[in-house]
Amino acid sequence: MAGLEESDTDPTASYADPQGDPFLRTRFVVPARPVTFLRRERLVSHLDQALHTPLTMVNGAAGAGKTLLVADWAAARDRPVAWLTTDAAEQGPGMLWAYLLQALRAAGTTLPAEIGCPADASRVPPNLLARLAAELSARDRPAIVVLDEYDRVIDPEVADQLEFVLHHAGDGLRLILVTRTEPLLPLHRYRAAGDLTEIRGAELAFTAEEAAELLDLHGLRLPAHATRGLVERTGGWAAGLRLCALAAREKPDPETYLKEFEADRSTVADFLLAEVLSRQPPETQDVLLRVSVLDRFRPELVNALTERTDAGPILAGLHRQNAFVEHLGQDWYRLHPLFGEILRAHLRMRSPGLEPELHRRAAHWLRGSGSLTETLGQGAAAGDWEFTAGALIDDFAIGWLFTGLRSEELAELFSRMGPEAAGPATDLVRAARDLSRRDLDRGLRHLRDAERGLAGELGPTAGPDAVADAALTAEWDTAGEEPGLVAARLSCALLETLAGRLTGAPGRAERAAAAAETLCDRAPAHLLERHPELTALLLAHLGSARLWAGHFDEACAALSQVAESSAGAATAHAREDSLARLALIDYLDGWLGRAERKARAAVTATERYGLPQPSGSGMGRLVLAAVAVDRDDLGRARALLAEAAGADPALADPVMEAGRAIATARLHLARGDTRAALEAAERAVPATVASPWATGQTALVVSAVHLAEGRPQTAVEVLAEVSDEQSACAVGAARAQLAAGRPEAALDLLDGVRSEGRAGPAVTVRALLVRAQAADGAGDTATSRRLVAQALREARRDGLRRPFLEAGPWIRPFLDAMAPRVRAADRVTSGAPASAPPLPIVEELSGRERDVLSRLALTMSTEEIAADLFVSVNTVKTHLKSVYRKLAVNRRSDAVRRARELKLL
Amino acid sequence: MRYEIRVDGHLSEALTRVFPELDHVVMSGQTVLFGYVVDEAHLYGLLARCQSLGLRVLEMRQLPE
Repeated sequence: MAGLEESDTDPTASYADPQGDPFLRTRFVVPARPVTFLRRERLVSHLDQALHTPLTMVNGAAGAGKTLLVADWAAARDRPVAWLTTDAAEQGPGMLWAYLLQALRAAGTTLPAEIGCPADASRVPPNLLARLAAELSARDRPAIVVLDEYDRVIDPEVADQLEFVLHHAGDGLRLILVTRTEPLLPLHRYRAAGDLTEIRGAELAFTAEEAAELLDLHGLRLPAHATRGLVERTGGWAAGLRLCALAAREKPDPETYLKEFEADRSTVADFLLAEVLSRQPPETQDVLLRVSVLDRFRPELVNALTERTDAGPILAGLHRQNAFVEHLGQDWYRLHPLFGEILRAHLRMRSPGLEPELHRRAAHWLRGSGSLTETLGQGAAAGDWEFTAGALIDDFAIGWLFTGLRSEELAELFSRMGPEAAGPATDLVRAARDLSRRDLDRGLRHLRDAERGLAGELGPTAGPDAVADAALTAEWDTAGEEPGLVAARLSCALLETLAGRLTGAPGRAERAAAAAETLCDRAPAHLLERHPELTALLLAHLGSARLWAGHFDEACAALSQVAESSAGAATAHAREDSLARLALIDYLDGWLGRAERKARAAVTATERYGLPQPSGSGMGRLVLAAVAVDRDDLGRARALLAEAAGADPALADPVMEAGRAIATARLHLARGDTRAALEAAERAVPATVASPWATGQTALVVSAVHLAEGRPQTAVEVLAEVSDEQSACAVGAARAQLAAGRPEAALDLLDGVRSEGRAGPAVTVRALLVRAQAADGAGDTATSRRLVAQALREARRDGLRRPFLEAGPWIRPFLDAMAPRVRAADRVTSGAPASAPPLPIVEELSGRERDVLSRLALTMSTEEIAADLFVSVNTVKTHLKSVYRKLAVNRRSDAVRRARELKLL
Repeated sequence: MRYEIRVDGHLSEALTRVFPELDHVVMSGQTVLFGYVVDEAHLYGLLARCQSLGLRVLEMRQLPE
């Protein structure tokens, strides 16, 4: 397990790209000031206040000069400012914070990896913000963060989160919002406390003097009254003034021209833009109109849109003129946001119907040389679904539909795909979407369609039953196979493996996984490396299917590979899923401590990456509940089961359902409710093939019910039908035989259990107790006592209590007699924590739990502790719960008392 | 629900195309855009569109049906 814990804190985790897609580095760049930029000292000195207030807001209309003002100020700082231009395409808080953390790092702010990283676009790990705030608050000098175009952030949750971080980071953070609209933060409160620097539209407006200076920079000299008139007409609007200068300087008599403009009654931007546009050569106009369909562009991409080769010099020229385009660095440009919209309107008027074609051309260019996300966006905008789905599949990115920051965005994007789009790639995307929502019927139907299509493309068609095999394994030896087909077939293999897992058909999963392995060898290595989630999902599904089949060693081999893979948001889901399933295997083998550690790691991983709470952690909680039952901590078991019941059905598969049935039935059994136990255990889990351990565990519960109700013979019969391969079942059968008055048969069964091998204390302790009971029945008290003592020793480390409680009245005198000597025995039967001195606590407290505990001792309230530690109240409650559990107490006063006894305080 | 949005200045032919769902009339140095608005989301969308075009909104009101 050491490997697991290590990989969990892998420092590269948070640096790793959250989605395999590169961070758009242009978004971290402080925009360059054009040569005609005019620095206005009154604004700069006002903005200097930003260094002294937690929050600064620069707001004003589009083209008011907000961004350039802040960019100029930021560039003059003596250390880098974290700059992030928000993006309209990313709606969820998860993506925003992923980028914000990256912006801080890009500006040289070192952030520890423990802060974590969102792995889900719409969610932020609950502790991430608290950890970030705590980290920032501990700094000597505040981090300056600029969020440009904040008006694009429409999720109200983001405002709450920023507010939280601002509040708790104290003097460690200076946040500057550049926005067109008033943000949803409680500005009045900041204002009242003097914590807000505000630069609004009126202040940004150019005065007549400033306007004269600006026009001068553009090589235009006007008499004072003319400048005043212009300022009046434009309202001191920076973009308007700049356009005026550009339009007028071409004229033989600028002054007269500007007089006409003053008299004209068109809207300012509209008029000026049309003027300036019409002044450009036709090629330039064409470029400007066509790029209006793109968020950002570079010369080669523009050439693809215009089908010419002159975009490079044209863009450079436009940037020099500072007319329409802004330079983002690295050869990337964008239109000034104000003009994009107007230019698009002109494009629609001049070339109706050209827009989809432009999107299509952009998509094709981007597919060859741009980011996949942008390709998909443009392809979808063009309505070319075969292309868009093909791009996703060919990039080996099908895993994105299941996991990671973009899964929701992609689901939304492909939800617009109509039924008319045809081809294997679209069917694969449809199947993946349906399967990810656990719509099995439709998912499997689409998968079958995709396979039929693939088999068709591969040549000779197969019979209806062999379609999957034909699609996956046909014609291995053909050389020069088209790479696209490898990607489609590999995607198909992933979905087949998932289908095998979900339908409880291990054979299907094995065949698909074997095909996938061969396909992986043929796939370009760099693409597979870019998509670690593909392999991780494949192995997690395969491991789960093997687990269902009862092939624990093979399942562990696949699942461990995922669990120990390097950390990262892309594979977080799969790792957590695999960890929880490894935990189940340990539980079934009888190793409670190991099961608990892995299950907890799985649940923690969920929290760290802010995965949707009820993802795979449902399985982790089920295992923890089952462990709690064996430790006779029934209240906790019940609480965990209730939490797991809320789990997303999206990750329910037969393994999870069987796990739930077992944990629930065992809890009912422990509480003596035999009828409920039967009901839970016998609830059918739909699956193609039966699972040996699920059957065995069900039989164990049923047999235990018969024993409890005094029908030992029936109990024997129930287990006789189950394979005695499973040690737990053999031990259960032995117990039933003993109760039915056949000690020899019982001992025979126990002798048949292989002593070496996988059985852990939960199995071996039960076996020892059956032997002890047999010895007791035979009058051999000495042997019985020795066996009970051995059982107690073996049970101690895992805190195992249930076997002693369910053993029956015969054990009581032994435990009572041993009480003075074996302290653990006392605890085992009285309900105190099962451990012996000198190790009175089962588990060490974590650093954070000690922090909470020490504050508890100062009689601080939960809220006070939360504020003091910069964490949420819920986090404190979670810590408190684990402190209580580890100290085996239920109240704060008891926790403090016990902690003092144990010298923890 | 029917709305009218009054903006400062005369809108060009190209710019009115940005509001294909609305009719418009130009009068005394102002342009009035009017027509059916589907819901609140649409309404705020229209305002955002005005803002991104650099238009100054002078008035916005609901019209009787």
